[in-house]
Amino acid sequence: MSVMLNINLKRTSKIYHEGEVIAGVVVVETNSDVKHEGLSLNMEGCVNLQLSTKNVGIFEAFSNSIKPMNLINTVIELAPPGKIPVGITEIPFEIPLRARQAISPGYPGLLETYHGVFVNIMYTLKCSMKRSFLNKPLYTSCQFFVQYRQQDPAPLKPVRCEITPASIRACGGSLSRGVMPQFQIYAEIHTTVCPLDKPITGKIRVDECSVPIKSIELQLVRVETCGCAEGYSKDATEIQNIQIGDGDVCRGRHIPLYMVLPRLFTCPTTTTVNFKIEFELNIAVIFEDDYLVTENFPILLLRTR
Amino acid sequence: MPAYFEWKCLKKQKRLMNQCPSFEVSNHPLKTDPILFKESVTKNFMDYFNKWSGGFEEVDPLLKFGQMELEDDMEPIAVVKPTESFAKAWNSRRIGILNKYTTGEKLTIVSSFLPGGEQTLIRQVSNLNEKVKHRLEQLDDFDEDSIRKTIGLSQQEFVTKINMLSDEIKKAWDTEQRVKAFKIGIQCSKLLSDVSVMQFYPSKFIFITDILDTFGNLVFDRLKVKSFGSKTNKTIDDIVPNEVPESAKETCQNWMYKMASIRELLPRLYMEMSLLKCYIFISKDEIKPAVARITNMIRGIGNPLVAAYLRVYLCKVASKLLGNDSAQFFYNNLKEFLEEYQQIFNVTMRKKYESQLITTDKYLSLYVPAVDWLLYGTLILNDSRHALLEEFLQTCEQIPNNELFLCCILSAFDAPDVIKKSSQILQLIQNSADKMVMLTELLMTLGEHLCTTENYRQVASEALIQSWWKIANNIRPTVNFLLVLGPWLQFACTHLSTQYVNIILRGTIRYMIKCGTPADEFSGQFQIVIKRMLKSIPDVEELFLMDAFMPLVELVQSANARTLLAKTVLSIYFTRHTSVHIEDHIVIACLLRLCCILHDSITAVTVEDENKLCSELINKFVQAVTYQDLEQQLNFYVECRSSFIKLDGVLITLVHAVNTLAARANDSNGKWLQRACAAYCFITVPSLHCTLTKAHLYLLSGQVALLNNCIGQAEANFKALIGLIPDIPEYILEDAQKKPTNLRVAGILSDFLSTLLVFPDNVESNCKAYILNGFIRTMERIHWRKTEPLYYGVLLRTLDLLCELTQENYSYHIDSVLSNDKLYASEAKFIETMEKYATKICQELLVVLHVRGDSKDQNRQYNLALELFWRVIRRGDLQDKSMYNLAVNLWMLGLKLQDTNSIFAKSLLTVLENDGNLISAQLFKKLDNAVATS
Repeated sequence: MSVMLNINLKRTSKIYHEGEVIAGVVVVETNSDVKHEGLSLNMEGCVNLQLSTKNVGIFEAFSNSIKPMNLINTVIELAPPGKIPVGITEIPFEIPLRARQAISPGYPGLLETYHGVFVNIMYTLKCSMKRSFLNKPLYTSCQFFVQYRQQDPAPLKPVRCEITPASIRACGGSLSRGVMPQFQIYAEIHTTVCPLDKPITGKIRVDECSVPIKSIELQLVRVETCGCAEGYSKDATEIQNIQIGDGDVCRGRHIPLYMVLPRLFTCPTTTTVNFKIEFELNIAVIFEDDYLVTENFPILLLRTR
Repeated sequence: MPAYFEWKCLKKQKRLMNQCPSFEVSNHPLKTDPILFKESVTKNFMDYFNKWSGGFEEVDPLLKFGQMELEDDMEPIAVVKPTESFAKAWNSRRIGILNKYTTGEKLTIVSSFLPGGEQTLIRQVSNLNEKVKHRLEQLDDFDEDSIRKTIGLSQQEFVTKINMLSDEIKKAWDTEQRVKAFKIGIQCSKLLSDVSVMQFYPSKFIFITDILDTFGNLVFDRLKVKSFGSKTNKTIDDIVPNEVPESAKETCQNWMYKMASIRELLPRLYMEMSLLKCYIFISKDEIKPAVARITNMIRGIGNPLVAAYLRVYLCKVASKLLGNDSAQFFYNNLKEFLEEYQQIFNVTMRKKYESQLITTDKYLSLYVPAVDWLLYGTLILNDSRHALLEEFLQTCEQIPNNELFLCCILSAFDAPDVIKKSSQILQLIQNSADKMVMLTELLMTLGEHLCTTENYRQVASEALIQSWWKIANNIRPTVNFLLVLGPWLQFACTHLSTQYVNIILRGTIRYMIKCGTPADEFSGQFQIVIKRMLKSIPDVEELFLMDAFMPLVELVQSANARTLLAKTVLSIYFTRHTSVHIEDHIVIACLLRLCCILHDSITAVTVEDENKLCSELINKFVQAVTYQDLEQQLNFYVECRSSFIKLDGVLITLVHAVNTLAARANDSNGKWLQRACAAYCFITVPSLHCTLTKAHLYLLSGQVALLNNCIGQAEANFKALIGLIPDIPEYILEDAQKKPTNLRVAGILSDFLSTLLVFPDNVESNCKAYILNGFIRTMERIHWRKTEPLYYGVLLRTLDLLCELTQENYSYHIDSVLSNDKLYASEAKFIETMEKYATKICQELLVVLHVRGDSKDQNRQYNLALELFWRVIRRGDLQDKSMYNLAVNLWMLGLKLQDTNSIFAKSLLTVLENDGNLISAQLFKKLDNAVATS
């Protein structure tokens, strides 16, 4: 005897916005009649925070602040105790996606799904079939994604910068290497306020460089901050690194910067009481001898059109 | 042994003019009906051929190729989708690249997906332990971390590996390992960042983009199936994004996200291009911006070679998707390429190719297919090519190192456009000629374009040639100079006066002498140049009138090369030379010189075909040369004989030519010329090898001599001919085949015998019919097989001749020649001698008849009997008892052998019946009775 449980969502993209109804079917597939003590569906959304290992020692004391944070938890009953006949049975369901009404302090509402290193925001549908005393209950689960509704586009905030040995020194760049090559690089990002489903664009121009360039790269970095008023851990980790210039590129030419934001690993820049998710962009120019020059741009990701 | 019959000839008193039965006809019996062969217009050439080869099961394989090509050529006449024309253009270029860019260097491939190769082969293993270990290793192989580098691959091995990767992609795809397929795709495109064996790069590019195409198609097909089910036959144009279901769109998006997150730039670009057509599932409007974006993103590729080919692939993909709309992308990419043009010449690249021991021109030629493709797409739909050319030339003026681009422009634009700008282009070339490495290609292409100029006034030919010569004169090495010389010389030939051409030729000679190396090393190029010149000059004879032409031809010293040149010049000269006669002394002298070179090359070991070819060429020369003065003509032939003594073929022609000359000579030239001609022939013929030809020529020369009333010379020739008869072999070798000679000998001999009728006897000799006598004796001397048809055929003809000789008035004469009928005036002694001969021959024929009877060849015996019978009744005097009996006996023999109702026999009888002669009637009665009683 085998019973299989499956959740099929109507929407293939599995992306839902607040206020929408999550519709789908629970498919029960069995090769014999099944008796059960009730079939229920649980929608759950939570934030998991984790402290980076290097900080664990210091922050063990604040363990309470990093227990999972519940964003939503709704249970509906799909079927009363009874019998499911042999074959495939589809049980449709509909659950409205709505934030909790009673707002506790620090409740951020429904946040966008996000998979990070130290912060994870996940939404799942769990279906469970309780069965008679001797049989284990059956579970199945299915993730879905929550996105904010698209807002009106924010005004563009372009940034421009010149990267020269002088600018590096001004930023207090390390001078471990004796002589810095002579270079003059101009970089521009069309806007630092970026819609999530549009690529980040910009351009870079190498006006002058005394040594051959090996690579020009664009690095997307997330900065996750966990903690609360008592203290926090802030960690910057790379999401993706994309090469935009390969080899000794032509001088004085605009090379486009172009990066598609990865869907799972980004979300709108979020700040809550317990954690923050921010993003930054690094432009790195690597010279032939692996000497690296970077320029950092904090960016704001938004769910806008 | 048959009885002895004495031959008596019938003397026809007076030959009536219309003795033969005749009737009026409306048509000439020998005139054949003209066969009207009308080739239908609709049928093309191939059909015409097929008609002849239709009997065979298979079409001639060579024709088949032609057919395929024709079919290929036919198709585009139908409405061609622009994408298809691009695909076609690409395919031809693809093949060109694969053929051109090859290497003997060792190649390297880096991949984690190639099955273990040698390792797996060696470990065909026995015990279980090792097997497990091996399995585990194999599993490791698929681990992504175990990227292995295979070095030292030959080109062939490399291609095999690439094909393996291609198969691997398909395999992975079929087994649902789509991510693996994706990864293989990435790794393949990464290979294109490796320029370590540069001269192979274009070919490598082709191989790898093929894989990427495969991958792109796999993804596309899968999305198509996902959208429209597996049975759909929608093409890319039919897909409407709105009809695509969400799930397929989602999958497509996922591919795009995956592609966009590839870390390295080059594989990301290549993968995006390979997936470009999948954008159609999301939105049709996405493709063009994507192409435009990628066009810009390619700027990030530092290596100009890699970038150029990346653009090629982009344009290729775009042309496939967008058809004619892609022209702007071609143009944009070309512009981008020009912006980065100087990267090609920067120091890092120079170091790279120099370390690989590649010369600069080789290096630059690697870019040619790429630029060519970009230009092709830019031009194909552009209406204002002229403006475009102007724009490009301006660009060329502004940028240093413009040679590569200029070279590509020249080959991409059509001749008319280039010609209009030719002086500007030449100026451009001249400005930087010293440091150009592609100078040869540039000048060659420009020259080729100029060669197609039709309008004479379209270009300032003189100025062009002058500035060209200034550049060309400094080209080193010599090979390149000659390469450039070809098209420009052709241009000069077609557009300038011979003086100019002559100046160029002189310059060439000076150049060749100055360059130090003997001209022999370049004989191949040399030949090509001269060939082109010969083919292009409006009047070939003019060439020989230039004082620099012959020295140029003879610049080559080695005999072999010289012969080759001479042969080329002669053969082209004769194919182009239209008039029948050559009269100019200079031309004749030049040609004679060339023919001598050709002749001198012939040695004992020269092959037959070569001899034949040379003979043919020289023959054409001999036949064409015409002097007004016949004596000079003869002198020319004498000279020819001494020059071409090694070639029988030429000697034969000479004999014929001299005979023609002799026939042409009339008395105003005096008898001496005819005699000289006859002597010439008589002396020339013995040096030939083939007896049969000798015999034939003797006969011919004798006849011509006779015609000119040179009796002595004719007699000498005939004597020589008779002397030759025993030596004629039964078979001769002709075209490497053994061929029997008997038919031809029979022809010659009957011709000879008919000539003898008019040939006056040598009165000084002590026997009558001196030559005939010699002939008969020679015939006796030869040990013939009696049953040989040739033998008794000749005997029968001799019998005919003997009978005719006894007549009072011969049936034909040569006007100026006194024949025997006049000479002897039917002298009794002469007739007696003739009849004696006739008796002898008749006797011999009866022997043959007898032997034939023994050999049981009834049919032939029967025919021979009737033939003889016919001669007896027609030419024999039936009044004579012996003749009468002979006739009856022969008839009886025939009757015994076969039914005499055959047509032949019947017609003989009819003639006999209608003879109106008493004795004939008597004979007829008797024979008729015999027929009746049998």
